[in-house]
Amino acid sequence: MSVTRWTIPAVAAALVAAIATLLVVRGAQSQYEQEFAMRMARTTSTYIAAVTPPPPPPPPPPVRRPPPAARRGRPRAAAPSPSRPQPPAVPPPPAPQLSPAARSYHLPALLTQARALKTLPGWTSEVEVYYGTAPLVDATAPPLTPDDLRELDSTGTRWRGGVAIVPLRDRQGRELVGAVAVRPLPVRRGPLPGGLGFALPAALLAVGVAAVIAFRGRSLRGGGYIAAALLLAGAGFSDVHTAARVSTDRWLVDTRRLIQDAAARIPPPGIRVAVNDLAALVQSSGGEVVDGEPGESAPRRVQIDGDQRAVVAISIGSNRWVELRAVPAELDAPRWIILLLPCALLGPIGILLLRWAERTPVRQRRESAIAWGFLTPAMVHLLVFTIGPAIFAVYLALHSAETVAGLANFRNVLDDPVTWRSFRNTLVYSLYVPVSVGVALFAALMVHAHRARWSGRLLGAAFLSPYVCSVVAIALLWQLIYQMGALGLGRVDWLNNQATALAALMAIAIWAHVGGQMMVFLVGLRRIPRSYLDAARVDGAGAWQRFWRITLPLLRPFTWFVVVTGFISAFQVFTLVFVLTQGGPLHSTDVLANRVYRLAWGSPAEAGVGVATALAAAVFVLVAIFRWPQLKLLTRVVRDA
Amino acid sequence: MAPITVRRLSKVFDGGVQALHPLDLEVRDGELLVLLGPSGSGKTTVLRCIAGLEEPTSGDVVIGERVVTQLSPAERDVAMVFQNPALYPHLTVRENIAFPLEVRHVAAAQIARRVLEAATRLGLKDVLDRMPDQLSEGERQRVALGRAVVRGPQVFLLDEPLSRLDAKLRIALRGELLALHRALGATMIYVTHDQTEAMTIGQRIAVLHEGRLRQVGTPEEVYQRPADVHVARFVGTPGMNVLQGRGRAAEKGRVIEVGSLVIPIELSTYEGELQLGIRPEFVTLCAADHGVGNADVLVVEPLGSETLVHLDAGGQPLVARVPGFAETRVGTQVGVKLDRRRVYLFDAAGAPLA
Repeated sequence: MSVTRWTIPAVAAALVAAIATLLVVRGAQSQYEQEFAMRMARTTSTYIAAVTPPPPPPPPPPVRRPPPAARRGRPRAAAPSPSRPQPPAVPPPPAPQLSPAARSYHLPALLTQARALKTLPGWTSEVEVYYGTAPLVDATAPPLTPDDLRELDSTGTRWRGGVAIVPLRDRQGRELVGAVAVRPLPVRRGPLPGGLGFALPAALLAVGVAAVIAFRGRSLRGGGYIAAALLLAGAGFSDVHTAARVSTDRWLVDTRRLIQDAAARIPPPGIRVAVNDLAALVQSSGGEVVDGEPGESAPRRVQIDGDQRAVVAISIGSNRWVELRAVPAELDAPRWIILLLPCALLGPIGILLLRWAERTPVRQRRESAIAWGFLTPAMVHLLVFTIGPAIFAVYLALHSAETVAGLANFRNVLDDPVTWRSFRNTLVYSLYVPVSVGVALFAALMVHAHRARWSGRLLGAAFLSPYVCSVVAIALLWQLIYQMGALGLGRVDWLNNQATALAALMAIAIWAHVGGQMMVFLVGLRRIPRSYLDAARVDGAGAWQRFWRITLPLLRPFTWFVVVTGFISAFQVFTLVFVLTQGGPLHSTDVLANRVYRLAWGSPAEAGVGVATALAAAVFVLVAIFRWPQLKLLTRVVRDA
Repeated sequence: MAPITVRRLSKVFDGGVQALHPLDLEVRDGELLVLLGPSGSGKTTVLRCIAGLEEPTSGDVVIGERVVTQLSPAERDVAMVFQNPALYPHLTVRENIAFPLEVRHVAAAQIARRVLEAATRLGLKDVLDRMPDQLSEGERQRVALGRAVVRGPQVFLLDEPLSRLDAKLRIALRGELLALHRALGATMIYVTHDQTEAMTIGQRIAVLHEGRLRQVGTPEEVYQRPADVHVARFVGTPGMNVLQGRGRAAEKGRVIEVGSLVIPIELSTYEGELQLGIRPEFVTLCAADHGVGNADVLVVEPLGSETLVHLDAGGQPLVARVPGFAETRVGTQVGVKLDRRRVYLFDAAGAPLA
């Protein structure tokens, strides 16, 4: 056993990783529990509204109507009182002044109804119903404050101290009458003895392995600790998944009771309950009720129209069965991996860093730390604004309006003839690149030859000026030129003619891009030492031979750069098309980027963001094919420089 | 092979810098002439004018019987080796050497034969298929020579071809270059700022200074009988000491006073401002007050076989070359003796006196 000054930090790193992972698991579990409680409270609130009978014939009109300010149940006397006094010590606050709408419930019936909830068999939560601020189920429970009610009325739900509180509204669902609070009772969190989940044992194991490695100085290459950390992440996910599943199952089971009860009470005696009435109970909590087959009362997972649903069969008497369905909460559980995995891997990463620090001389360590200090802002920027959106784009491409679409979006893209049309248009459009590169090279040679004279500088500035202009400005300028038939182009509306529109765009592109490409060539020309050309002249090469045999080969990296970046930007062309033709006429100038835009935002939105992103991803792959030589090229240019 | 004649050649660059004052130079057939001068003296400009890379402002260049002033470099049948050495980086050694033949559309078989010949002569056979950046500096310079040799031109122009090499390689390649010159018998003009190289290589040396041709002669002539102060200063390592002084009559004949030194010179009748030249090897040191004057020792540079002692003789710098290791200490005062027969006298403008 060798304790170095790295041992303690290593164990600490493992501990931090384990605790962080456990915290994430715990957080996920409480979130799913909260989700259940909220859902349950909402269902209960709807249920109460549905089953509590209306008040008996209207009472005589009140002597004094409360002013409008009090309509939200604000008691004037209670305003200065401290929040939530303890019942034994302080007498309960005076009953709030309720609006007439609040009286739409028969209070004694509501009281009975609320108390009856306690007697529902198999419920996994405690429930409290407030009339105004007063608790009905447990009269000694602390009342709500008027502020609570106001808050509820505006935000809809509250979560406080492990209790979900939702508003209870009148039978028309308008005025706030009171609230329903649900406190989920503790349930088993895991399958191990004592309701233990897998995460805790896995965390202990991971810390243990890390401690062994730290004290024995064994290499991380054995993978033991990494495996343990991955196991921890997996166990944590298993626990989260269980919690999600339990959350849905609890809601199904508890709601089942309410539905059975409601089925007997909603309709007048002797009339069969309508499935729609039952469905209305769970609508606000994201459930469905449909006619069903006899089945088990335990929740199951089934595939319905290709989507997974959690279902439970409910008998509503006399051989009538309905099925309660909900989207299983565990479907979105995988997103917790995004948190769990990094947390669990904190340990291995920390230990790797420590091992690196142990091996590395102090100076190199310091310099690395400084280097990372400089790199971090750029990396964060890259992560947030480039890599993050890219990952999000992959997600979008694989989804269609929140549901997993897999490769369907891509199939849609490939099946769309307009996409292929735009692909072909893009290819044709990109053919302007060789032309503009040729013109740019010629221009650069001219400017370079006259670089010492004002004529050369003027020529260079003239070629460069379009390059520094906004593409929109260029587009508008050319629109004017085309429309006026200036420059001897005649009175043909070049941009509105299917046969000429794309060519007209290409002409603009050449005009706009020559300057930038010329700049690159000028740099290249300037980098060719004069002695090469002198040597060639003495060796007997004429001007033409010097160009073909010396200048052009020596410019090759620059030519490559210009061509590759030219094709890349041609593939991404959007502004020009968007400003001038919007892809028209009749898709004759529809290019890929424009297609992506149309698919996503076009009116009418033709396919949605998912399909648009799928096409964007396809374009990305195309461009990446060009990027590859560009990257190799850049490294070469850098090496040559 | 051909002689080269340069007649009244001058060059004024854009911006008015006069790089060359009208200059006459004759290079004999098969001769190796060294153009020697400090940087900025115009020697490379002369070379580029002869090659045709630079157009002279006035004057003519004659190669053989032809006046080539108006011809392009390609038509002049000259080969040039550059300092850097300007190998085409995208071509192999073989392609580099073959380039002058290819642009002249020589038959492929002949190209192959002549490239191999040149490569063999220069010991480049093993590196023919390498790229220039895979070669050593010496090999690169040889390839540049090969590119010049392969064409068999009338005239070779070499622009400081060895200045980038380290000392040992330079000496080795210098020998090869001389052998090559003997074997080819071609006329060569060799530009350098290194006077040692000029002395060892040149059959004749042409010394340029500030765009003017100062002297043309054999190494011995240039060393022994410098045409003016600039040549005297530039040739030799270190160059000649040149001290500002004045001649005057004294009790016993005439003396020249330079700084703290008073040198009796019987021969000269010159009075007034003049410059006195003496090579370091003819300056000897003795105890203070025993020579023609005293000087302070500024720096002592032991070189092994000899020691250079830098002196301050009353504000005039003076270098003495002393055999072996000198006893002299920095900061002390020593006496100075000059070999009077080796003293050169120049007038204030730098022209030799008498």
